[in-house]
Amino acid sequence: MTTALALQLTLAGLSVGSVYALVALAIVLPFKASGVLNFGQGEVVTLGAYVALVLTQSGLPYAAVILGVLGVGLLGGWAIEYFFIRPIIRAPEFTIVIATFAIGLLIKAAISLKFGDSPNSVDGPFGMEPLLLGPVRANPTSLWIIGCTAAVTLGIVAFFKWSRLGKAMRAVSIDAQAAQLMGIRSESVYRLAWMMSTAIGAMAGLLVAPLVGVNPELGGLILRGLLAAVLGGFTSVGGALLGGLCVGLVETFSGVWLGSTFKNLMPFVVLMVVLVFRPQGFFGVGEVKRV
Amino acid sequence: MSSSHKTILAVGFLVLMGAAAGLGSYPVYLMSLAMINVIAAVGLNMLTGNAGQISLCHSSFMAIGAYTSTLISAHWGLPFWVSIPMGTVLAGLAGGLLGAPATRLAGIYLALATLGFLQIVQITIEELSSITGGVRGLNVPKASIAGTELSDYPKFLIIGLSCAAVIWICSNLMKSRVGREFDAVRLSPHAAQAMGLSISRIKLSAFMLSAALAGLAGGLQALLVGFIDPVEFGVSASLRHITFIVVGGMGSMGGSVLGALVLSALPEFLRPVKEYSDLIYVAILLAFLIFLPRGLITLLTSLMNRVRGIGRAAGRT
Amino acid sequence: MHPRLRLDALSVRFGGIQAVQQVSLQIAPGEIRGLIGPNGAGKTTAINAITGAVPVFSGDVFLDDTRITGLPTHAVSRLGIRRTFQHVEPFSELTLLENVLLGLSSTMNVSFAAAALHWTSARSAEKQAIEESYALLERFDLLPHAQVRAAELPFGLLKRMDLARALASRPKLLMMDEPTSGMSESEADAAIRAARELAEETGVTLLVIEHNMRVMMALAHSITVMNQGKVIAEGSPSQVQANPAVIDAYLGEESDASR
Repeated sequence: MTTALALQLTLAGLSVGSVYALVALAIVLPFKASGVLNFGQGEVVTLGAYVALVLTQSGLPYAAVILGVLGVGLLGGWAIEYFFIRPIIRAPEFTIVIATFAIGLLIKAAISLKFGDSPNSVDGPFGMEPLLLGPVRANPTSLWIIGCTAAVTLGIVAFFKWSRLGKAMRAVSIDAQAAQLMGIRSESVYRLAWMMSTAIGAMAGLLVAPLVGVNPELGGLILRGLLAAVLGGFTSVGGALLGGLCVGLVETFSGVWLGSTFKNLMPFVVLMVVLVFRPQGFFGVGEVKRV
Repeated sequence: MSSSHKTILAVGFLVLMGAAAGLGSYPVYLMSLAMINVIAAVGLNMLTGNAGQISLCHSSFMAIGAYTSTLISAHWGLPFWVSIPMGTVLAGLAGGLLGAPATRLAGIYLALATLGFLQIVQITIEELSSITGGVRGLNVPKASIAGTELSDYPKFLIIGLSCAAVIWICSNLMKSRVGREFDAVRLSPHAAQAMGLSISRIKLSAFMLSAALAGLAGGLQALLVGFIDPVEFGVSASLRHITFIVVGGMGSMGGSVLGALVLSALPEFLRPVKEYSDLIYVAILLAFLIFLPRGLITLLTSLMNRVRGIGRAAGRT
Repeated sequence: MHPRLRLDALSVRFGGIQAVQQVSLQIAPGEIRGLIGPNGAGKTTAINAITGAVPVFSGDVFLDDTRITGLPTHAVSRLGIRRTFQHVEPFSELTLLENVLLGLSSTMNVSFAAAALHWTSARSAEKQAIEESYALLERFDLLPHAQVRAAELPFGLLKRMDLARALASRPKLLMMDEPTSGMSESEADAAIRAARELAEETGVTLLVIEHNMRVMMALAHSITVMNQGKVIAEGSPSQVQANPAVIDAYLGEESDASR
């Protein structure tokens, strides 16, 4: 394998891994805040991609598309939390797991109804012309994805470390009762966590759309995101990031070396092995980066 | 349920089976599908409703049963009444394969593991396309007895009798120490262990039992439809089974039957709004999860209690 | 005669804390032993160590002559040890009858196939189990509530159910963790009387953690006193009551509380 090819694959792996990392992040946030794992997160990504499609097709500049996607993400998260999650927050785990699944399928069914099943495509913000970075032909969209993911991650870390709202969220996730006694309303924190999570998920949809197209099956991404979250131990932002990048890199490289069957099966075999032998994951990063 | 109730049900069932001979082949086909759904629902309910184990891969065991029995029939020429039981057994063993590590997991980790298992089975079916036909699907050899090919009505009888047998056996199990132990594992594993019950052994048997029943349902479905493909055994199918038991009533045999029958009839009523049927299905699931998590069976039993109460009061005056 | 239960320098550690330190004791078959001590003395931890619910750091536990140290809880229970819980841990959605039936489930000799096919052996085993369970419910004055779900019943009543459930399998050794907490005076008296009668009839050995001194003095043949993880005294109820070390330990607790 030449250096150029290796670098090329690394870039591809990092960019797809960044998308997985965003999905993992979107999964970890509400889990850390309220213990709810959103199995419908994949469809939030799909929703983001379709919103991007609609807004781009209506001629809006990219900056407006980003804002539109974020807006829909935030609003969607608010609506989901208010109408579906809030009523069942005290229900047994089974109910919440299936409900989040069902919400995802609801979104998917609605999208299929409105847009049909045929795939659409949308262009990245910087076109498809590859940039030449030394020996590597870099897809500008890939670079953009990596850059955005880094920005989002840093933003989240800064938010939790320095902002009042972020510190309040950390307090609730450590000890909800104590936080309540200190005047922090956990319901508001949960809602905020959901809104952040769906906003990030929708962003992921916006970012990944130019790479893989826009179709109702995009939700399958969640499986890689879940693997990344498990590897990261569900505990931390840093863990989700590292987990996602890992999954992206291993998937890209194994596709070259092991052929498609193994490439497809591997994430799930790894998932099951990790769940059984090391459910706490590998990348649980320390206190500083903890959500 | 008293024995007079049971006799009435049994007689009613036999009458229904007999009367169906007069119906056209499409209603008979639909009723066969409904009874296959009942078998699948009963299996899942014992695992999730009684033993409290989340499973998102119930349809994978249906796939294992369907593909095993189909391939055995196709390659070794064995008749359906050998290949379907073999598919059932293999599915049960696969349930043990998943169940053994799964007993250590709970909650979302268990849900994730079952999701992973589902993907593994899906991908394996798709990738081994030379054997399984991959995404294009597989034709099921025509079932026959003594040289005559089976038509819809004999298939209906076979499926009906299998369904009745499953309901009888599983009712026996749930009313015995086996069923109580499943409930104990769900309600308080800590106390159950203190009473000498091995949680992992009980969970394992729940997984194997439910997988075997799914495998039976899968084999019967292959028999009925004549064609199988991986799509019908994916996440949507698993969620459909979960909808059966949520709508019907988790942990209740009556709930499994009720939920499966009601939701099997639903698509027929949704015909005029066919495009919305996916949406409606999911909306029903969500509505029940939020508003009636204990399922229709609780409505039914409280209604029956009220009727009995009125009857008793009327009898007193 | 060999002891029913023998603890041999049993120690349990949680992180850096020695919850149980080098505890040794022996209980003869049929004996009713009280286990008392101030809060945090390690009494419940000792019971948890015997049942395998917490890991043993060092030392051994013997049931009759069998070493049971470190066995999983269900295996320990199958050997004939049962316990009641401070918080009952009922099977909340099941009826009292079903709760008690589960108490003896592990002794029912009904195979999966027999249950599935409703064989005569399964039917008669079930019938017998139900009869025994009803008898126990009657003994503890729970008969009227037999078909009521545990979730709908008050705590004191459930404590009696816990006793009935634990005795259902005719254990060799029954460990009771604060059996009368949550009960009124008269409930406590009645429950303890029933337990003592049953113990004397069946010869079951009892190890009872209790804070209610009145109940303890009336019930126990002998008493072991723990404080801060160690055994500080052992003897008949009157001996223990007069023991200065015991009085010190409790007074120490009182003055701590008043500070």
